Amino acid sequence: MFKWEKLGNVFDPKNQYDRSWMHEFAQSPSAVVFENYVRVYFCARPKPNPDGMYLSYLAYIDLDRKNLLNVVNVCKEPALKLGAHGTFDEFGTNPISVIRDGDEVRVYYAGITRCESVPFNAAIGMAISRDDGDSFVRMGDGPVLSYSPDEPFLLGSPRARKFGKRWFLWYVSGKTWLRTEGKPEPIYKIRMASSDDGINWVKQGRDLLEDRLGEHECQACPDVIYRNGNYHMFFCYRYSHNYKNQEGGYRIGYAFSNDMVNWQRCDKKAGLEVSETGWDAQMVNYPHVFMLDDETYMLYQGNEMGRTGIGLAKMLSPRDWSLN
Amino acid sequence: MKWKKLGKIFDPAGHQFPMDSAGFAQSPQALVLDDRVRVYFSTRERDRTGKYLSHVAFVDFDRCMKYILGTSRQQVIELGGLGCFDEHGIFPVNMLRDGNRVLAYTTGWNRKVSVSADAAIGLAISHDQGLTFKKYGSGPVMAAALNEPFLIGDAFVAKYDDDYHMWYIFGTRWTQHSEAEQLERVYKIAHAVSSDGINWRRDGRPIIPDKLNINECQALPTVIKLDTLYHMYFCYREAHGFRNQSDKAYRIGYAYSTDLINWVRDDEQAGIDVSTDGWDSQMQCYPHVFECEGNVYMLYNGNDFGRNGFGLAVLDR
Repeated sequence: MFKWEKLGNVFDPKNQYDRSWMHEFAQSPSAVVFENYVRVYFCARPKPNPDGMYLSYLAYIDLDRKNLLNVVNVCKEPALKLGAHGTFDEFGTNPISVIRDGDEVRVYYAGITRCESVPFNAAIGMAISRDDGDSFVRMGDGPVLSYSPDEPFLLGSPRARKFGKRWFLWYVSGKTWLRTEGKPEPIYKIRMASSDDGINWVKQGRDLLEDRLGEHECQACPDVIYRNGNYHMFFCYRYSHNYKNQEGGYRIGYAFSNDMVNWQRCDKKAGLEVSETGWDAQMVNYPHVFMLDDETYMLYQGNEMGRTGIGLAKMLSPRDWSLN
Repeated sequence: MKWKKLGKIFDPAGHQFPMDSAGFAQSPQALVLDDRVRVYFSTRERDRTGKYLSHVAFVDFDRCMKYILGTSRQQVIELGGLGCFDEHGIFPVNMLRDGNRVLAYTTGWNRKVSVSADAAIGLAISHDQGLTFKKYGSGPVMAAALNEPFLIGDAFVAKYDDDYHMWYIFGTRWTQHSEAEQLERVYKIAHAVSSDGINWRRDGRPIIPDKLNINECQALPTVIKLDTLYHMYFCYREAHGFRNQSDKAYRIGYAYSTDLINWVRDDEQAGIDVSTDGWDSQMQCYPHVFECEGNVYMLYNGNDFGRNGFGLAVLDR
């Protein structure tokens, strides 16, 4: 089992009074390491409209590389504009995954659109930064990963990695919308695609993980790193209903694979649980694991799907990533 | 080439179809069977909100296109489930005989909030001569892509040598003529190739040059090979004012190609135009060209986008 030391809540967007577009929420943290700081990208929201509907923007903070709890910079403007009228990302770019590739920095994001019969739909877009990650321009007006016969809607929660020369994208695909007394609720599962250029993707076409909470389990944010001969996936999962409270809310799960095809799920090993009290006592979700100066860290979001901001944990053991 | 008009051959008012409460017989497309020509089209139902849902229906003609033999008695292709791309209608549908199967390429519609709707192309397969269909998955085979951001539809599929060729349209922008008017869509004709009819490689660009202006809307391509030349008929219109101003409404355009890739647009050679009066005097749209018993026919809609049925013309060679 992995052992983590929680270092605390590194950023709560509610303190950013001078940025109306960053009123609350810091969701799906994703790190890029720079010489003197670690840039943590996330999704921030302005106040909702009168119908309670939110927009969501790409944002970032810079953490002092010598003391990651010290926020040295908060971006002034959204790092990526929303899409044009009628496009897949008109109402939000959330969640996100940011990755450096040579001189470029790329963001893969779930573009959010609003629908009549269901509240929203999503497809995965990509935008590129050529100014070291300060601002991003979308590759096209449409998505890089879109719907297909067995992935009918809700392609989201992307996490991109590059192993060797090949690009890998873990993401979720919607299975069904459940009719409820309120708004319909979606079910989605973790899948994978790969690519030579990060633009043209080949879908593997299958759900990767067995369900632990039954067929209506929702799985999200599959964050994968390669260590000691295995691919290690941290993700989050929840029930389809009553997930906004402590009992049904997101938890962080874990699976591993040596071939990226067969995954063995073993949530007990994940090792990052909700706290007794405080900002991450109801839920822990949207994990992102990164290496820095010989240490392994996990960024994650806390209660109310990240309304309370982003936390950081440091891995204590096993240092060799053995699975025993 | 010149077309000889044979008149309006089908009016939905005289028939009752399942899920048909509002009339319409839009975008007629033929499946030529051994003993009949089955003409599919989309009819419309009003749902509880007063908005339209399009449904696939068909009418059978004899192989000389003179007599109606019967009509569909049940829903031909079901609409999609909650949140699916074809939840709010299927219009149009294109049929391809492929061995013992019939492949139906559907344009599925789903309603949006900031714009009226989006669309994608689905596939359904029949093993009983086009009577009933089973969908190939609940999602589309052709959805929005990097440079084709929305409104993927109007597929026409033909098989040449071992490849499936699809001509279709994709949306390029939503445009607003004035503050008082709703957003209107602009779309262009494109092309894709497939070895299995399911996985498509797209050219990713419009293939027919604009004639009117950058906001010209091009729709419903249909392609036929006669001798050594490929002929494409389609319809085109202005982006605004097209519903009630005849000079901005759909007309039938034409292009030809020797290689299925490069097309020369030459609307003067379409050989068919609106009538001086009558059912197709205001607009002509949704052409579909097919061969039967040595004749080349064009099915098409007239005024009001096919509210009152469809007509037929025969190529006068």
